[in-house]
Amino acid sequence: MSKVQLTIDGKSVEAESGQTILEVAQATSVDIPILCHHPALSEWGACRMCLVQVEGMRGLQTACTCPVTDGMKVSTETEEIANIRKFILELLFSERNHYCMYCQMSGDCELQDLAYRYGLDHWTYPRPFERMEIDASRKYFIMDHNRCILCTRCIRACSEVAANHTLNLRERGADSMIMADLNVPFGESTCIECGTCLQVCPTGALIDARSAYGGREKDVEHTQTTCMQCSVGCQLDVVTRYSRLLRVDGVWDAAPSNGLLCVDGRFKPLYDKRQRVTQPLVRKDNKLVETSWEEALKVVAGKLKDSKPQGLALAGTTNEALAAFVKLFEKAGGEAGRLEPLAPELDYGEPAQLKDILESDYIIVAGAAPLEYQRVVGYFIKRMADKGVPVALIGETVEGLQTQATLVLSYEEAGKAAEAAMSAKHPVIVYSVGLKAAAIEALKSLGDKARILALDPAHNSNGAQNAGLKPMAVNGADTLYFLLGEQSEDEALVAQLNGQFTIVQASYKSPLVERADVVLPTPLWYEREGHITNVEGQTLPLNAVLPMPASVRDDAEVLKVLKELI
Amino acid sequence: MIRARVLISGDPLSLSRGAEKTKLAIEAEISYYGLEDEIQVSYLTHADRTDILPIVMIYPEGVTYGPVTPEDGAYIVQEHLYKGRVIEHLFAPPEVLTGDIAHIPGRKGATYAQKRIVLRRAGVINPLDIEDYITHDGYFALAKALEEMQPEEVLETVKASKLQGRGGAGFPTGLKWSFVVQQPGEKYVVCNADESEPGTFKDRLILEGDPHALLEAMALAGYAIGAHEGWIYIRGEYALAKERLNKAIQQAKELNLLGDHILGSDFSFDIHVHAGAGAYICGEETALLESLEGKRGIPRIRPPYPTVAGFRGKPTVVNNVETLANIPPIIQNGADWFRSMGTERSPGTKVYTMLGDVNITGLVETPMGTTLREIINIYGGGMKDGKAFKCAQTGGASGSIIPPELLDVPMDFASMAESGAALGSGALLIAGEDTCIVDLAYVLLRFFKAESCGKCTPCRIGTAQMLEALERLRMGYGTQVDLDRLEEIAHYTKEASFCGLGQAAPVPIITGLRYFREEFEAHTRGECPTGVCPCSVKQKVKH
Repeated sequence: MSKVQLTIDGKSVEAESGQTILEVAQATSVDIPILCHHPALSEWGACRMCLVQVEGMRGLQTACTCPVTDGMKVSTETEEIANIRKFILELLFSERNHYCMYCQMSGDCELQDLAYRYGLDHWTYPRPFERMEIDASRKYFIMDHNRCILCTRCIRACSEVAANHTLNLRERGADSMIMADLNVPFGESTCIECGTCLQVCPTGALIDARSAYGGREKDVEHTQTTCMQCSVGCQLDVVTRYSRLLRVDGVWDAAPSNGLLCVDGRFKPLYDKRQRVTQPLVRKDNKLVETSWEEALKVVAGKLKDSKPQGLALAGTTNEALAAFVKLFEKAGGEAGRLEPLAPELDYGEPAQLKDILESDYIIVAGAAPLEYQRVVGYFIKRMADKGVPVALIGETVEGLQTQATLVLSYEEAGKAAEAAMSAKHPVIVYSVGLKAAAIEALKSLGDKARILALDPAHNSNGAQNAGLKPMAVNGADTLYFLLGEQSEDEALVAQLNGQFTIVQASYKSPLVERADVVLPTPLWYEREGHITNVEGQTLPLNAVLPMPASVRDDAEVLKVLKELI
Repeated sequence: MIRARVLISGDPLSLSRGAEKTKLAIEAEISYYGLEDEIQVSYLTHADRTDILPIVMIYPEGVTYGPVTPEDGAYIVQEHLYKGRVIEHLFAPPEVLTGDIAHIPGRKGATYAQKRIVLRRAGVINPLDIEDYITHDGYFALAKALEEMQPEEVLETVKASKLQGRGGAGFPTGLKWSFVVQQPGEKYVVCNADESEPGTFKDRLILEGDPHALLEAMALAGYAIGAHEGWIYIRGEYALAKERLNKAIQQAKELNLLGDHILGSDFSFDIHVHAGAGAYICGEETALLESLEGKRGIPRIRPPYPTVAGFRGKPTVVNNVETLANIPPIIQNGADWFRSMGTERSPGTKVYTMLGDVNITGLVETPMGTTLREIINIYGGGMKDGKAFKCAQTGGASGSIIPPELLDVPMDFASMAESGAALGSGALLIAGEDTCIVDLAYVLLRFFKAESCGKCTPCRIGTAQMLEALERLRMGYGTQVDLDRLEEIAHYTKEASFCGLGQAAPVPIITGLRYFREEFEAHTRGECPTGVCPCSVKQKVKH
């Protein structure tokens, strides 16, 4: 990258060659209006809002696509350009229904903002538009074609970011419309509800069903935290108002997923209907009754001190809680372990980060189903498959990636994948608990060239590992302490219990909670403070979006207090 | 020893009117008289007349019969070929003949001679017979290039010839090729045969009448730029041309004129034919490449240009059929020969498709620099029904409106551009005094609204809004506001559109307003001076 010198609106600017005029302008606080451009998506150059005048070039150039060159002289806001921008806005307003006052995006709309900026105070052109159907067949969001300006951001987000290719255009010219699949209702399409389209829409054409009309940008608060629905640890921008959750957005410039979320991270937690545990409970006369923290903790401390205890954690809580858990059982003299299985450890390869998938030239998915359990990793792999990077699937448990895969192999045939990946410079192996020894051996020939990403089923598996928790089953202890966090556990666990005194630290009602002798309520994902260690080994912060109820206490705090009590 | 040739018109219309049966009947009758060795029968590509199809022409006499039924065909063999008696009552009507098939050589006195380069074989040879092509100097240029010339010499010859792209923009072909040569890696040659400009059908004649010329030219282009694969993106509606191209490719492969190690040299070249699906936008080269890759036909962002990242992201030469058809004669005869024709800045010839209010419509190939007046008066046989010339539109639907004042501008790329017009693809729509400019613009805009791809805002909505304004003017509801609006949209749509389609769509309106503003203004008062528009009908009712 060499430096170039150019002039934007008479101001001399230094830039990297290869940057676009828009990028340089934004870096120097020159505001060029945009509609179809989005920094996370490929350039489209079609809305024509960012047209600028470059001295010596024929016609006007789109700032979003035109690369800077040395000595370039750019004017971003001449009278002619302002007229063209106004003209384009007037056309857009004439095309479909853009009566702002009835739109949920009014106030936050990129189209509306530009209309104010260029002084649109009336409709210039006739508005022959016809009313279009609103597609509300999706549970989590609504598509209103009447507000669509055909910028195709949603299509590009669907194809390039989520690599799902559900959205596209149908018809052409003035009849162009966004469609899902081959023009089926959105809700019946192959949409995976990642919601990326929703987040990039500049107008009110794609609306979040839950937060619609819930508040404009100026009314809401934003808090960044880490998603706890799987081990990837995507960054969330949680939007709240009046201490209520409105919606969740992705954070474009934050690793590991750079804005991409899945349905589990973006939508499902907001629709959780499970009944929450909000008070400590103690079993009295064979019935769980509400009690005070003092009493509950006294009962627990007494049991831990007086009997042989065992601690079992679901790694769905913070690093701080897991560490306190281990310390507690060190003091109490019982064993502490984790309930989820671990992916086997490989003695070759470098640990991979998610971005290594995006730089890889061969991907092996072995004994893992990322599209189901760590969806964002699956989407990353699909993105690369779209670019022509070969993907080899090994093992029976793999689902959903078959259409993209270049090789589908059994564990015994794993050698074929190793052979095919041999010439690759940056092969990545993504695997999980399913991986069998034979395949581990067969892939060894790739050696340290391979980047490996172990997808453990536990949500904070690396945190548990760092705390020293090993997979463990229920043993002959008298008292069982389950640290469950927010996750629900296997009903089979209840069947294994055999009259032991059972303590459960959890946030939702479940069969195990019903069976427990003491229940200690824990905070939900958006109430937690602390850290988790994600699949890449990165320690990521959890920030409390909303305060937890007064009757709920943080896991780590509770465990520390217990340690003092025994 | 062949003593006579029988040509039967084989264009789609003739075939639909039973040309094949006529041909079979003629062939059967020839074999009945045992004349197979003396008489050659083949299809003539394009008779360019619709009233007397199917036509049968017999050489060396140059007699034209038409329309010919299978029974007539048998009778013609019996009387003309066997007994040597010309059958006068089956002649094609002579007064009509003076016009439409004027270009067919061998007939005397019908029109002035044309200068033919790209059309020199069309209508003369049997397009389905590679040997006929070879007999007419075919594949000579390819053999010459492979035997005697380095790829650089081929490129230099094309550069020196100053050949300009005939698709409409007039970009120097040699320069385009040299951009691709500079790029590393695999390269492609793509022929733009998606001829969808309304009123343009020059490429079809080449494709249907002389398919091997295109194949030879593409192989030469491949040799010059170092490509080993070529694609012909052909308009979906050109079924016959596609069929003939495929046949020609097969024939050329059989003779090792395409494929691996052509003529024993180190050069290998293969050609594929891909049919479009009926979108005007796919004639735009980047949209064409998208479509060729199997995607939605929408133009790409430039830069990078196709010469850097074209088909499958590789450097690609995209040339029009007529451009390519000029290549073999240039290689064969040299750049100086080519530059001896046409004008200094635009050498060579241009094929025009003339239609509208002239006596002779059809194809004409003349040297660059011929004026529109000459073309109308000489080749077009003057204005139809003695009408006065009102305007012409050059270059198809997106072309400029040319007023009488510009009739004497030499028609080449540079001169036309200097006078504010454009040569374009070569369609010449000649309009007489009874044509309404508003109506003409309305018809054209209806086309553009339907064919806009919808990618960019100005073209997608601008064409619809221009059509709306024109509709109001045409119907007599329009006011000065509509006219002002129309002019504003036309101006900004031209300035702001993404690709050539949107930039060209308002050109008929802009140039129409430049020369015929009063006529537009008359419509704002509900008057159509020529009485063509619906508003004039209303007027009559009112009075």
